[in-house]
This record gives sequence, structure tokens and C-alpha cells, in this order.
Amino acid sequence: MKRLAGYPLIVLLLLLLTWEYFAATMSELVLPAPSVVALTLWEGLLSGYFVPHILRTSTEVFLGLVLGCSLGFVFGILMGEVEFFRRLFLPYLIASQAVPKLALAPLFILWFGFGMTSKVVITALICFFPLLENTITAVQYTDPQKLELFRVLGASRWQTLFRLKIPGGLPSIMAGFRVAVILAVVGAVVGEFIGGSEGLGALIIASQGMMDTPLMFAVLILLTILGMLLYQGVTLVEKCILQPYMRGKRQ
Amino acid sequence: MPKDWLLMLIKGGECLSFLQLDCITYSYPGEEAIIKEISWQIARGEFHCLLGKSGCGKTTLLKLAAGLLPAAQGKVYLQGEAVVKPSPQAGFVFQAPTLLEWKTVLDNVLLPISLKRTPTSEDYRRAEDLLGLMGLPAHLRHYPTELSGGQQSRVAIARALIEKPAMLFLDEPFAALDAITREELQDDLLKLCQLQGITVLFITHDIAEALYLADQVAVMVEGQITFMARVDLAKPRHYTMRYGTYLNELGREVRQAISGGAS
Repeated sequence: MKRLAGYPLIVLLLLLLTWEYFAATMSELVLPAPSVVALTLWEGLLSGYFVPHILRTSTEVFLGLVLGCSLGFVFGILMGEVEFFRRLFLPYLIASQAVPKLALAPLFILWFGFGMTSKVVITALICFFPLLENTITAVQYTDPQKLELFRVLGASRWQTLFRLKIPGGLPSIMAGFRVAVILAVVGAVVGEFIGGSEGLGALIIASQGMMDTPLMFAVLILLTILGMLLYQGVTLVEKCILQPYMRGKRQ
Repeated sequence: MPKDWLLMLIKGGECLSFLQLDCITYSYPGEEAIIKEISWQIARGEFHCLLGKSGCGKTTLLKLAAGLLPAAQGKVYLQGEAVVKPSPQAGFVFQAPTLLEWKTVLDNVLLPISLKRTPTSEDYRRAEDLLGLMGLPAHLRHYPTELSGGQQSRVAIARALIEKPAMLFLDEPFAALDAITREELQDDLLKLCQLQGITVLFITHDIAEALYLADQVAVMVEGQITFMARVDLAKPRHYTMRYGTYLNELGREVRQAISGGAS
């Protein structure tokens, strides 16, 4: 494995060289050369031009994630644990799956204005569903033998929920969280596309209006880095939390 | 006063058998009875084994005896008291170790206690002692996924013993283990139960295992006990007894009983 570690880097280098070569034959408006993009990125970072936009999008992603995931988790537990809630909400859950959530973004802009609130709501809505579904599944499909063990030991319903169902379902819940994190960036950026003057999504729309393609590429790179950082963060958290579940047998 | 005296006499009489099944019948909803009028007495400190093919109702009988299932007819008495729910005096070992992956071995063993109250330092000491007796003193802080199958079974047994149960129910706990590990665990289980005077109901489909462990074996065929025999061998048992003529002959009898008496 270690010997292979260098290859992706070589691929990247080749890709950049090819890009540079083809960019030279084209207008900068269509395909700016990587060197030009890098320069724009560097200057933007040095001058602090990107900073408020990065902060804005990160805040939206963070708030949306926290709001959407906590609501999804709580509702997931309610629906997984209480038959009544499950029956009450399941038809709506199925119906809501069919709605493309991003298509609701204009409506939220209308309701919550062009400020940060509407973007946070859109992001939260998108993060809500993967967590909701995975939590429902996790709580509902607990290992029947472990349930029986808790019954033999005379555990209460609360104990069974908090000491068996939730910790036992953590791998599934974390899988939902991983999906939510990736979707969160999409939610925030699309929200900014539709209305707003700040944030990386708004910057992409602005660069389109100014026909500043190198800026657009620079922002795309920033978004990619933001997404990757988030993903790495989740992987790190997952590794810490799920370590006992994953460890292989010693033998 | 005479009334109390009478009550004590009755209770005393019942106490002769530690666990008593009185004409138990059970059927799953919409199905034919799976347990048919079974009566059984286990004296204090005895080790009883129930043998039978898969699907003959062994596990159901164990669940009835442990109070996990309510009998449709008949009653179960543990130390003279009717069993309606799992008794805190009884430990239970499942077919699979059923350990919580997110808790350390020590915390898994302490689970029955920590569900009721915060474990004291004495509880910790007892758990450590039990794990020591089960040959796992080095694995206290490890997680179950780090252990082998046999080690996991040992943790499950230690967990069943942590509350000092007077009665132990085991449901084919060693079925998934290799033969040598199984023999080691059988010896350790026997030693522990004898040391602590625990009464045991053990379910298995392995004739040799049943005979080696038990003071008394019973064979179950289609929801009925068709055969019961005492195993008159000295305890502690030694692995050479496994291959002795006595167990071999008894084994043949049991084998015939399992396949319906036809020789």
C-alpha cells in the first residue's frame, strides 16, 4: 500500500500539465489555466477577499448540520421507539422522500429572506432525512438477542433505549451523519446560488456575472477543500467513536 | 400459629426441589403445542442437561423455566415461589455470547449490576475475580471484538455469575466452539458451579457434552420428555471419563431415545 501512495500525486501532476497545455489554446473565459487559477486563489487568500465568504458558508453548513442532525436524531428515536409516532409520520416521511428538497430552496428564500436563516434552514432540511432514516432503522432493528438479554436482566425501557438501542445503532447513525455532512455543503451552496450576496455559492454566481472564470475555479477549489475537511473530520470522529465496534479479532 | 407452621411445612416440602416445573404446556399463537405437559424437578446444586434435536422445543422450555415466556398451563417454581418473570436469582447464558461491543470486557461482566445501581469497588473486585477464574485476567480492558469465540463465551458466563445466582440457565452456550475449547469450558463451568453450589439447567444437542456435565439428563422429543437418566459418575469429572465404557453405554441409550426409542 505504501508504495502506491505516490501514484495519485503523479496522476494529479499529469492532469494539471494536460490542463495547462489545453488552456493555453483556449480563451481564459472558457478554461483558465491552472497557473492562473492558482494565482487568483493565492491573491484572494492573501488579500482576505475570500475570508468572509468562507466563514459565511462554513457557518451555514455548521448550523444547518447541527440543527438538521439533532432534529433528525430526536425524531428518528421517537419514530423508531414509539409505534404511535411511526404510524403517524411514516406516510409523510415516504411522501417527503419524493420531493426534491433543493427545489424547495426558492420557497425558503421567500419565507426566511435573503439572510443566513434561509440557507441554514435549507441545509438543515437536507441533513434531517439521512439522519432520521438511519436512526429509525438503528433503533428498530436492534439485535433481538441483546434485547432478550436486557429483558432477562430486568432493564427498563429507558435503559434499553439509552444503553442498548442507541449505542448499538451508532454505526448506522454515524453512516447517516456521513451522508448528511456531504449533503450539507450542497444545501448551503445551492441556497446561496438562489439568493444572497455572501458565501462561496454567491461568489460563484457573482463570478459568472463578472465573467471571471478563474475566480469561479478558485471558489470551486475552496468548496472542494471545505468538503474534504468536513469529510475528514467526520472520519476522525467516526474512528474515535466506533473503534470498539470495528476492531478485528486478535487471532 | 398453626397456620404458619402449616405454611412452612408446605414451603419446606417444595424447597426439596430447587426448580420445579409442574405440567407445563406452551404453544406459539396459532400453532400446535410445542411443549406438552412437562414436569421436572431439579434438586439444589444439581446439574441437569436437556437433550434434543433442533426444533424440538428445548429453548422454549428453557425460556419457560427462566420466566422469559409465560406458560399456557402449569406453573414453574423456583425455591418454592412461582416464577412469572426472570428472577434476579437466576443467571442466563445464551447460545451466542451476546456481549455489547461498545463496552469493555469488565463493563460487560458488570452489566447486570450497572443496570440496577452504580457498581461499587467490591463489584469490580468480584468481576475481576470471576474473569480471573475464567482465565481472562489479561483482557479486562479489552473490547469483545478483540476476543476469540471461546473467550467471548467465558465473558458471557462470568456475566451470568456476577450477581451470585443460585440458578443458572444455559442455552447451548458452547455450540459454536471448537471441540477442544468446548471441553476446557465445560471443565471450567463444572468447577465454578460446584464451587458456588449453583443449580444448573443446561441445554445442548451434544450427547457427550450432556453426559459429561450432568447429574441427570433428559431427552426431549416433539415437546415431551421421553427419557430421563441419572449419571452416576463422581465429581469432579475428568476428561478420561468421556471415553469410558459407562458414558459410552449411557450415550447409546440416550441416542436411541432421541431417535424415538426404535433400536
